[in-house]
Amino acid sequence: MIIRPRFTEYNDVFIPQHDLDFAIPFLNEDIPLFVDPFLIWKSPSLADKGIHQMILAAFNNLGTLVRDGKFDEAVNQLITASECDEVGLGNSATRHGKRIGEKCAKDVLSLFQGIPYYMENGFRHFEEIQLFVDDIGKDRVSDIACNFMKSFLIDYTHQECTELGIAMRIGIVGSVFNHSERKFENVQAELPVHPETEKPLLLVPKRWLRHVPWINYDSYFRDHCPQDDIAHEGGKLDKVKVLTYNRENYGLIDSFVKEKERTVDDCECDPLFTQIPIISARRKFAQIRKLPTGKDEGADIKYERSVGELLPSLLYPFLDFAQEQARTDDGVSIRDLIFYNSRNHDFLKEIMDDYGSRQITFEIKNVEKINRTHVDQLNRYLQDDLGKFGVFITRNPLKKAELKRTINLWSGQRKSIVTLTDADIGQMVEVFDSKQRHPIDLLIRSYVLFRRQCP
Amino acid sequence: MDTIEEIERLEKVIGQLQAAHSEITVLAKKSPSDMLNSFKLKMINKVLQSSNEVLGKKYKPFDDFKQFEEDELPSNSDVTMVLAQYMEEAERYRSDNVITARGHWYYLVNGKVSEIRSGPPSKVGRK
Repeated sequence: MIIRPRFTEYNDVFIPQHDLDFAIPFLNEDIPLFVDPFLIWKSPSLADKGIHQMILAAFNNLGTLVRDGKFDEAVNQLITASECDEVGLGNSATRHGKRIGEKCAKDVLSLFQGIPYYMENGFRHFEEIQLFVDDIGKDRVSDIACNFMKSFLIDYTHQECTELGIAMRIGIVGSVFNHSERKFENVQAELPVHPETEKPLLLVPKRWLRHVPWINYDSYFRDHCPQDDIAHEGGKLDKVKVLTYNRENYGLIDSFVKEKERTVDDCECDPLFTQIPIISARRKFAQIRKLPTGKDEGADIKYERSVGELLPSLLYPFLDFAQEQARTDDGVSIRDLIFYNSRNHDFLKEIMDDYGSRQITFEIKNVEKINRTHVDQLNRYLQDDLGKFGVFITRNPLKKAELKRTINLWSGQRKSIVTLTDADIGQMVEVFDSKQRHPIDLLIRSYVLFRRQCP
Repeated sequence: MDTIEEIERLEKVIGQLQAAHSEITVLAKKSPSDMLNSFKLKMINKVLQSSNEVLGKKYKPFDDFKQFEEDELPSNSDVTMVLAQYMEEAERYRSDNVITARGHWYYLVNGKVSEIRSGPPSKVGRK
């Protein structure tokens, strides 16, 4: 059982996120990022700009349908476009979302009738709908964009999976927008599928992802909205009032969007993982050093939290962080930190080959000394996909008896348990700053020193 | 010392040890627990290797230490400490092989005063 399974590990591809062009989807939950159409628009690549034009054309076609009296068809198309489960982006914990309702769709389409600019010219950035309709948020914008460019995403996914040698299956992909016929249809395509639901999966280039779209309601409300005009002193300023005001004052939105276009250089994609800065790494380590051992005043929780924040940054990009406090299926045992083993380092490859570690578990113990039960506990975890390699993160080196116990585990079961102490973490932070070495070298050192003691 | 070449080799390692020591000391003062990168470590190991050859069994500072293991990631301060020991021993070797004559210090070759000038022993009369 892999903790928090990712699409790549499941398909036996062990490349870290850092080296891949697409965002690696999780199999059981969504990635908390969204496709920002503004990033596609901003891209210097003509191909990307072309895709943005196609998305806009498909969206503005809804306006054409409305003008031509095919209101119901427009409503149906917008509802179909409002959810794209295949890409797995958003906040859902289940990879399954809901479409918008008819009322919401009608609200959006009414913009083509109520605002003269959209009636005549259509949208330049369809994200603007967030500024007029309640219930339309970043997730909808992202899903609409994905659905209107699904045909591209199918090709992209097929290409990436072919390069990586990921198995694909021919199946039906629903709601693919046909730009010639200007309607949604189901198409047959060869794509990777979700192992449980057997539904097709689509990959998205990570360069298009942001936590919040560049054009968003909060930024408008904070920096551009004439709040005094909308609600007079003492009056309540709620979102609906603002949205209604916007419909009647399109000029404001126009200037807001133009300003956003002017400041396009500040619009960058959000990385899927950001290393903490060196100064905060040092601060975190200073906090760790000051903590007493044991559980007094929540020292153990603070220790786990600090190490949990520090290690993923220190070990990036070799080890992708999977989960903190991962529970087993029965919820009884908890592994403190789990990393995906991307095998892009000789040492990590060796760990996979010798110990079968598809994921690596780190057990954090804020204790004066590791005792027998701690070793036994970590030993119990070391099975299946977690492999036979585990790491203790603790305050002091193992005492002779416990060290002997870990050596016996290697002798009897070929399991390796290595230890990183405060001193090692300190040195990891040191090299994280000086860049003379990679902090993973310290983990390797602990392993080498451990193996030297083994018979 | 038996030959002039031995003197040259000794002077070369003394120079290398001093240079390496002063470089790494600067790093060690800034961050003692930081580590050397593999390039620097390789160079230090080369210096230690030739020092071991020159110093021989008698003057080698530690019986069980030849050079640093790449995997053990020695810190800056570890390296300075070891280099200092080698420098001391190299100096002891030199001091044992110089003699004062005609108002200057000269190397001894085969127990006789050579023509090669040297400095005074760092600790006169230590032996």
